[in-house]
Amino acid sequence: MSEPLLQLDAIDVSYGDVQVLFGLSLEVREGEVVTLLGSNGAGKTTTLRAISGLRPPRAGEIRYRGRSLATIPAAARADLGISLVPEGRELWPQLTVRENLDLGAYGARARPHAARNLERVFAMFPRLAERSGQLAGSLSGGEQQMCAIGRALMSEPTLLMLDEPSLGLSPLLVDQVMNTISELHAGGMTILLVEQNLRKALQVAQRGTVIETGRVRLEGTSAELAANPEIRAAYLGI
Amino acid sequence: MERFIDLSLSAIMLAGLYATMAYGLGLIYGVLRVVNLAHGGVIMAGAYLGWVLFERWGIDPYLALPLVIVASFGLGILMYRLLVRHLPRGPAGGPASLLLLFGTWLVLRNVAYLLFTGNDQSIRTSYSTASVPFLGTYVSVNRLAVLGVAVILPILLQLLLKKTYTGRAIRAVAQNADSCTLVGVDVERIYALTFGIGTALAGVAGLLSATIFSFNPGFGSGELLKSFVVVVLGGLGSILGVGLAAFILAVVEVFAILVLPSYLTSAVGFVMLVLVLVLRPGGLFGHRVLG
Repeated sequence: MSEPLLQLDAIDVSYGDVQVLFGLSLEVREGEVVTLLGSNGAGKTTTLRAISGLRPPRAGEIRYRGRSLATIPAAARADLGISLVPEGRELWPQLTVRENLDLGAYGARARPHAARNLERVFAMFPRLAERSGQLAGSLSGGEQQMCAIGRALMSEPTLLMLDEPSLGLSPLLVDQVMNTISELHAGGMTILLVEQNLRKALQVAQRGTVIETGRVRLEGTSAELAANPEIRAAYLGI
Repeated sequence: MERFIDLSLSAIMLAGLYATMAYGLGLIYGVLRVVNLAHGGVIMAGAYLGWVLFERWGIDPYLALPLVIVASFGLGILMYRLLVRHLPRGPAGGPASLLLLFGTWLVLRNVAYLLFTGNDQSIRTSYSTASVPFLGTYVSVNRLAVLGVAVILPILLQLLLKKTYTGRAIRAVAQNADSCTLVGVDVERIYALTFGIGTALAGVAGLLSATIFSFNPGFGSGELLKSFVVVVLGGLGSILGVGLAAFILAVVEVFAILVLPSYLTSAVGFVMLVLVLVLRPGGLFGHRVLG
């Protein structure tokens, strides 16, 4: 089998004295949608922050295309094709939608293609085109989520990570976000999805990893996980 | 009437100077959340640099403008890389940053005493006393030039902030630095750059002041406090807010001459500062940060 696109090898991550991840390992192969599941505080967001470089691991190694990311600063990872849609959108509220998207193409690799990618984002989310001159802070929750995904797409990612994209959205918008993820996957993008909405996550993902207090609890294909009695009891309420 | 026009004109020109100083202070605070107490020291340094260039090499202060911009920008980068970068980030850095930058100011001031003594200096050019007729009164050519620079610089800066990737990154860092890292912005570089631009504005304000007022190494403390008044009054970021606030301060100061003894006019700004903080703590135009 070929080498995974992303490989987390027994990483420990701490916030000050509080350790959040304990020897966590994870693999994402090119073209896959993998979902990271777990309850609040399990360490899902921390895992994504470690991969994006905002919270580097204290021990263990993160490899991307077989190469260690240890010496690659967070700001250089967008250029490698790693992009994160953070929890809570984290847009720049007092910049316009257009400015938010433009800055998504800040990196040297993506900048020459900014115009083409902006067109793609607008085609995917026509709502953003309508609101391009508006301040991002004035958008509705769903529009902000579109803008955050759009901003991440502007960097032409190979690996797109989404942190709770459905949080606070209406069921209709949740479906729309999930459809978007499926579309991106169909276009060949590799996706690591953190989701509390386990049912939806297992629908779009091929594989899932369940983490609990910073350790891997279960791993398997989406079908296996959906059929797992423990998961059904704990997360699906069946 | 003539006196009214006279005073109005001086207020407008003073406002340009205040806006330039305050914009530098506000930009640094808006992006780094650091109050640059050394701002007054850089203003003083800009004045002396202009004076040295003029006295020793006969370089006209307006031709010296690019040199002063580059030098004070460089001073700002140096201050950032050597000192400010090591401060704890966030609110925890508050007291430490105040002490550090106040200390930096003291160092700048004492270096100036060492190099230039405490004597008052000023830049007297051939056109320092020249004036042109305007609306029945006379306007100093130099003050017009000061106003010109004070209008053009903020416009250029605004273009940088609105139109370029770097400028947009500066505004974005002020609003959410982590998101900037995620799209590939080297946030440390933006901090250094912003600090440099802020101190460059202070240096320019110092040079311009030196063509109007006399100065000594203690120069800059009143300017720093006036910058505070303008930033508090006008809010952060919007050029228009800063310009308007600078104008209000200048008008109140200038017209206070009519009703107050001259030794009290410099207190006017501080009374305004207290009033604004009590009555409208968010500033006259609200809270927008570099929008």
